[in-house]
Amino acid sequence: MFHLSYMLAELRRRRGRTILTALGLAVGVALVVTVNAVSSGLDDAQQQVLAPLTGVGTDMTVTRPLAIGDDDGGVEDLTEAERQRLREQAGPGPGLNLRDLEPGTEFSTDTFSATRELTFDASQTADIAAIDGVEAAAGSLTLSANHVSGTVPEIDITQGGGPGGAPPQGAFGDSDITFESRSVTGVDQTLPDIAAVTPSQITDGDYFSATGSPRQAIVSTAYAGTEDVAVGDTISLGGTEFRVIGIASSPIGGTASDVYVKLATLQSVADFAGQINAVRVRATSGDVVPAVASSISAGFDGAQVTTAADLAERVGGSLEDTRELSSTLGTVLVIVGLVAAVLIASLLTLASVSKRVRELGTLKALGWSRGAVVRQISGESLIQGLLGGIAGAVVGVLASLAINASGWTLEASVADTTTAAAQSAAAPGGAPGGPFGLGQAAVTTGSEIVEISTTPSLSLILLAIGLAVLGGLIAGAAGSLRAARLRPAAALRTVE
Amino acid sequence: MSTHRPVITPKEDHGPMQTGTGSAPVPVPATGDLSVPTYDLTGVSKVYGSGATGVEALSDIDLRVEQRDFLAIVGASGSGKTTLLQLLGALDRPSAGTVRCNGRDIQSMGEGELSRLRRDVIGFVFQQFNLIPTLTARQNVELVAASTEMPAAARAARAAELLDSVGLAAREGHLPSQLSGGEQQRVAIARALMNRPRVILADEPTGNLDSATGAEILALLQRVAADNHQTLVLITHEQAVTEAAPRVVTLRDGRLASDTRA
Repeated sequence: MFHLSYMLAELRRRRGRTILTALGLAVGVALVVTVNAVSSGLDDAQQQVLAPLTGVGTDMTVTRPLAIGDDDGGVEDLTEAERQRLREQAGPGPGLNLRDLEPGTEFSTDTFSATRELTFDASQTADIAAIDGVEAAAGSLTLSANHVSGTVPEIDITQGGGPGGAPPQGAFGDSDITFESRSVTGVDQTLPDIAAVTPSQITDGDYFSATGSPRQAIVSTAYAGTEDVAVGDTISLGGTEFRVIGIASSPIGGTASDVYVKLATLQSVADFAGQINAVRVRATSGDVVPAVASSISAGFDGAQVTTAADLAERVGGSLEDTRELSSTLGTVLVIVGLVAAVLIASLLTLASVSKRVRELGTLKALGWSRGAVVRQISGESLIQGLLGGIAGAVVGVLASLAINASGWTLEASVADTTTAAAQSAAAPGGAPGGPFGLGQAAVTTGSEIVEISTTPSLSLILLAIGLAVLGGLIAGAAGSLRAARLRPAAALRTVE
Repeated sequence: MSTHRPVITPKEDHGPMQTGTGSAPVPVPATGDLSVPTYDLTGVSKVYGSGATGVEALSDIDLRVEQRDFLAIVGASGSGKTTLLQLLGALDRPSAGTVRCNGRDIQSMGEGELSRLRRDVIGFVFQQFNLIPTLTARQNVELVAASTEMPAAARAARAAELLDSVGLAAREGHLPSQLSGGEQQRVAIARALMNRPRVILADEPTGNLDSATGAEILALLQRVAADNHQTLVLITHEQAVTEAAPRVVTLRDGRLASDTRA
């Protein structure tokens, strides 16, 4: 208690120097708290953007994308095996051959076709689920539901027509032939948490019920908006009527389809029995994701495993720029700030010891050991560090609150990195023909404004205060070394 | 002249206060063993610097100070008085010769032992008082026992008792800046007595005081030293102090010029 009184008394006597030293450390601590809180807020914002990409509880997605070779991409680079596979996946529908119809004949046809993701046997889901580290796996099938109608025109269409120049929807050239395509995903509603659409995405209506009708459909908010569809309406997919039971949000970055139906129903009506083209996988823990991804790739020829880390690379915009700035410049700023603060504190402590040579010499003459003198100086510095740490933490928290109050927003943009080549994959060679391949489930690209919310954690604040105390101790050590080397006889000769 | 009397009970055979720091106390003979001198200096020299620029502050000093002696060291400025006092106070080591304090050669002592010797055996009184300006009178007295294991309550009680004995009971909560020069020196004397030292070393204790106050301080020092059977060594150049001392050692150019007893 005596020593504490003495330390506090000395700090009060040198109030200006004490405040200056504590302020120096406080600036360093405030930087640590603020930069880390901002960094944490940016991470949270990125997670907010990433959440729909990864899906709730989904750690990775397994697909079998169309393999494209070399630089130019496109169907020319496909192997014959790949082309054959694509032909098989183009859909079992009747196709569209206008040469078989007389000009002026009205027609209307509905088909389902595969998207850029090749299908595979649904038994792969069970194989993946059996891999060590996999907690659950759910298959899904995404197809394009196409509707073509109109009157056979008086034109020569023997040249065929690939999808390369065809519009995805609307009039077929100058004729009155119309083409409509929309993506439809069959989901395993028995595993809703890792399904292609989850209950948490429902903004209106209900999710699939296990006992409900197989002809239930959930539509995306975007599709509902453009097609003016509401809960309770009926929509037609491949000529089959479905009742809309819910509307699901499809946030930016999400892999969104226009319509979701039960997997078994889609397989049945589209004649894709036993086929899926994606498996969504939940790992037992985040640590095993890389190992599980490797196991899946090794055991599943042609599989592409997309993890949350892969998806994170799609996020760009000012959010990502600021994150990078925070992790580089912010870190440098924190280190420079802390080093500068400790240096300033050390120099001020050294200066303080130099001013107290006679006092410290007196203490030694009175029998204070070197250790006792060192403890006195170090104790004073430690208190300064503690004061600086607390002040810095308060400033840091206030800065974080100010950032929150300012409503700081950043833009997060999401790009679809999958190749567009698959969209034209089926063109040459006469394989499926037509504009099939469009309307597939795709990452919703675009940008989203994210508000940054910073919340300094208690552990971070304690760590920052600890750093300030450490800085104080380092400064104290510098002063103590000077004090310890004082010879009492020489110190007492000092004139102050 | 002060009318206050020290209330410290004289003890015929009390050794220096064993303050129990956890390390071995400096071994000193009991005060009853008067055959061991407080100081025994043989051929002591002290040179500051080295080579051609070295300055010899003390040269070949032989001096024996018995227990309970009252000794005044006098000499002109630069004669080596302060250097000698620093050697006696174990604040410095001689360049040559031996300085024995209570039979122990300080040259053979480590830093820790020297600190304990200064704390437990020697009480210092400085010309400029050297009180810690941020501590009260009582805290300044407690200061020398703060690094010991003496319980805080006992420490405070003894400091209060000592301040009472030097007539400052009512001023124990005052800062040095709130005390007169004479009062500050009284606090310094109380501080020097805190650990019941064997010897009091006073460097010009009246040098910063007016003559009346100086006389009071001198009388106080004599009284507490006598009451506590302590050796008292004063550095002075004041005639009144010299006249009061039964033994006067004169230094001239770093050498012992005379050693007279009344």
